[in-house]
Amino acid sequence: MRKRHLCVLLAGLTTITTAAFATAHAAESDRWQLPVAVKKLDNGLTVVVSQDHSSPTVGVSVVYHVGMRLEPKNRTGFAHLFEHLMFQGTPVAPKGVFDQVISGGGGRNNGSTRADFTNYIEVAPVSALDRILWLEADRMKTLDFNPTTLKNQQDVVKEEIRVNVKNQPYGGFMWIDIGQHAFQKWENNHDGYGSFQDLENASLEDVRSFHRDYYGPNNAVLGIAGDISPEDAFKLADKYFGAIPGRPTPPPPDFAEGLNTKEKRIEQTDALAQVPAIAAAWKMPTRGSRDHAPMAVLGSLLAGDEASRLYQGLVKQRQIALNIDALYGLTDPWTYNGPTLFTLFALYKPDTNADAVLAAIDEEVAKVARDGVDAATLKRVKTHMLADWYNGLESFIERADTVARMQTLWGDANVVNKIPGWIEGVTSADLQRVAKTYLTRANRTVIDRKPVAMAAPAAKPAAAAPSAAN
Amino acid sequence: MRIHNNLLALSTSLALVCALGTAVAGPAAKLPKQLPPLAADKALPVPQIAQKTLANGLQVWVVPRKGLPRVDYALAVRSAGYASDGPDASGFASLYAGLLTQGTAKRNAKAIAEAAQGYGGAIGANALNDGVLLSANALPSQAEPMMRLLSEVAQQANFPDAEVKLAQANALQGLKVSQAQPSFKATRALLKATYGDHPYARSQPTEAAISAVTAEKVRAEHVRRFRPDRALLIVTGRIGAEEGFKLAEAAFGQWKASGEAIADAAPARANADPQRIFVQRDGSVQSAVRLGRPAIAATDADYLPAQLAGIVLGGGFSSRLMQNLREDKGYTYGARGGLNALRDGGSIQASADVRNEVTGAAISEFIYEFGRLNDYPVPAQELEDTKRYVAGGYLIGNQLQSSVAASLASNWLYGLPPEFLGEYVPKIRAISAEQVQAMAKKYYASKDLSIVVVGDYKAVEGQLKEYGEFKLEK
Repeated sequence: MRKRHLCVLLAGLTTITTAAFATAHAAESDRWQLPVAVKKLDNGLTVVVSQDHSSPTVGVSVVYHVGMRLEPKNRTGFAHLFEHLMFQGTPVAPKGVFDQVISGGGGRNNGSTRADFTNYIEVAPVSALDRILWLEADRMKTLDFNPTTLKNQQDVVKEEIRVNVKNQPYGGFMWIDIGQHAFQKWENNHDGYGSFQDLENASLEDVRSFHRDYYGPNNAVLGIAGDISPEDAFKLADKYFGAIPGRPTPPPPDFAEGLNTKEKRIEQTDALAQVPAIAAAWKMPTRGSRDHAPMAVLGSLLAGDEASRLYQGLVKQRQIALNIDALYGLTDPWTYNGPTLFTLFALYKPDTNADAVLAAIDEEVAKVARDGVDAATLKRVKTHMLADWYNGLESFIERADTVARMQTLWGDANVVNKIPGWIEGVTSADLQRVAKTYLTRANRTVIDRKPVAMAAPAAKPAAAAPSAAN
Repeated sequence: MRIHNNLLALSTSLALVCALGTAVAGPAAKLPKQLPPLAADKALPVPQIAQKTLANGLQVWVVPRKGLPRVDYALAVRSAGYASDGPDASGFASLYAGLLTQGTAKRNAKAIAEAAQGYGGAIGANALNDGVLLSANALPSQAEPMMRLLSEVAQQANFPDAEVKLAQANALQGLKVSQAQPSFKATRALLKATYGDHPYARSQPTEAAISAVTAEKVRAEHVRRFRPDRALLIVTGRIGAEEGFKLAEAAFGQWKASGEAIADAAPARANADPQRIFVQRDGSVQSAVRLGRPAIAATDADYLPAQLAGIVLGGGFSSRLMQNLREDKGYTYGARGGLNALRDGGSIQASADVRNEVTGAAISEFIYEFGRLNDYPVPAQELEDTKRYVAGGYLIGNQLQSSVAASLASNWLYGLPPEFLGEYVPKIRAISAEQVQAMAKKYYASKDLSIVVVGDYKAVEGQLKEYGEFKLEK
């Protein structure tokens, strides 16, 4: 599995890195190079360390190369349910120990499940580092496969789905439903939260085999960032993880799929919402391809902040939307390793409609495709993206997680230092190309979600889009 | 970091809650023998604050740091927030704060947004109960122009008619978005039960209050609220103290106050008759359960011990509420609670969203945990763990430059001295189990709690009988 990705990666890198030598816009004082040291243990665990002694704390992230794409077909939501079970104790450290030790050591912890990976993150005073690594190694070995905790977490996950989806206006349609309609393959288009029935059907045997198959050291990356040297961190990693044997990981199915060739429009009604909303999504370029960085810059130009084309165009000038937010799957423009979406989400005004919002988006995209972007705007967008990238790396927990995720998905933790150069290298012509290639009507999936009270009993012809006014 | 325009923070956050996260806790467990020991604690870093007061009364604090390439500015303005909003202007401060960056005498809204983008940063204001926090950040090479933009927004915001109208229209829609969320309705009812007629009860907008806003009113309020003698400017990041003072003097030295300063808000009440309120929400598959009562201000002598008691009760993944309602019972994704102390008062609050079937059972567990905190001293290990949790939180926050700026700013707004931040952890460490229990008896007695439930009354009414007569609201 690794190998196949590595080849793709190298092919992609050669195109991207040529761009990295473009003249740098940012002042020298604005540059930030993160130290990144990588070592692979004998059992296949890759350890990535980024040392920073400015605070007596440390961030830790263990990223497993398994997410919602690889869960069993009759067990939607299982990767996420399993993530919860990783906190429910082991034969050596029963339920309760994990969190008590981390919070009692002054730390904070969490975990999350995405399409391509599942991550387990901690941040704590450096005095607790040995304990955190011991705990992470302990649950990598095995779990306490226990019916009581399974039932407990099935209940908790159902409450999570109620609080985030079923009892919420909009129900997360812009990040849950949109992918179910945009993708063709099951790995990409099923509900990662899962159906209640599938969650209830999960058995201890499922839990056992998932841990055995996907949670070995060879399928994981350990990231450590903060108040520790790489030498010391590698020693600790070896001490706590070195003796865990590698385990065979099932080869992944081929979940690649091309761009869509026909627009999909879905209408939904919402019993809880009072304001209509729309999500429009386009399939993204392949990770590491020559179109990847330009797509990220285009996304930022269109919807990165209040200066963006769509915020100014839809919220301020046309005044048809309350907001415009860009989503990149469940992650960000750089963190994916399979089919993913660039999604725009907007709440729109009651006196307009989905067609008008889409027409306005199309108009702004067409401008970029036709005229490209002037140098001053492009420079501003890049400067903002550079700063944003650094901001996301400030906290040790995010830093550890980012280097571990990059190592997992790109096979290269140092991507964290390459991204600024990739952003820098994007040209106006690149933006024209990706706007024309990806942000097409054929590649678009749209969900228009209306409050029940607003939804017309019969579909009426849509009104023409109002013209832009300044 | 993106500083959201307040008006849409809610709708925006909707779109950004994209992680299938987890939050976990455990009962008091026995530690495994093989667990390695904690290493020795390192010295607690204390922010070194260079302080100066300009001739016009503006306080300037500079905290040089060696973190990422960024400077952060936080201009905290006292008496400019919700507590200064009139009885008919509920939530006005958030509309006003959002408009600060929508035009100045020199630049329109678009030019401001583009300038911030070009500086590799952001600028935006947030309304708080006790003030407004105008924040900005930029790449180090852009420290000077960003400081100028900050001062331009603070001193020359001109609230164009068209921007006020747009903000108003969007706020009315934003309110509709918020009202569809159970947490918004629950907060509204709990604030009312807690603070009664005090402005702390009115931090949420109403349709009438939004509709009553005019550009003239906003301009007049800006003159009243934004004044150097009521403000603190915090400068932090890759910038030296001298440089910070120089930029601040150049940008803010000529700022002048005009007219009378706003009078301080009256103290909020410390006690209230407990109420039972049910807010009907058709089609709810969960009940949003909230419990609370008024408490104390952040400058009260009881602040830290009362806060520590709240962290034991519902502070983190390992807190009692989380362990009980989530990890033991599986009633909820998250249960939390504790003290929220402000400048003129504060409140004790606890919350969980639970499936309809266990609404009554969840309330019973809340009451049980409040009772347990009253009836028994916190065991030594749990108290020690909680203190370490607090100390760790301080270290984790101190690693982030915007978090240091925000903590210093909010402490100042509450009326706490600058050294409070650095002294916080040692003071927490010195608190005894007896003190925590005394605080529990004083502020965490279940008989004093109001209970608010937002959900489907028909689905849960049978479970509520033993908790008193619930007043039904829409």
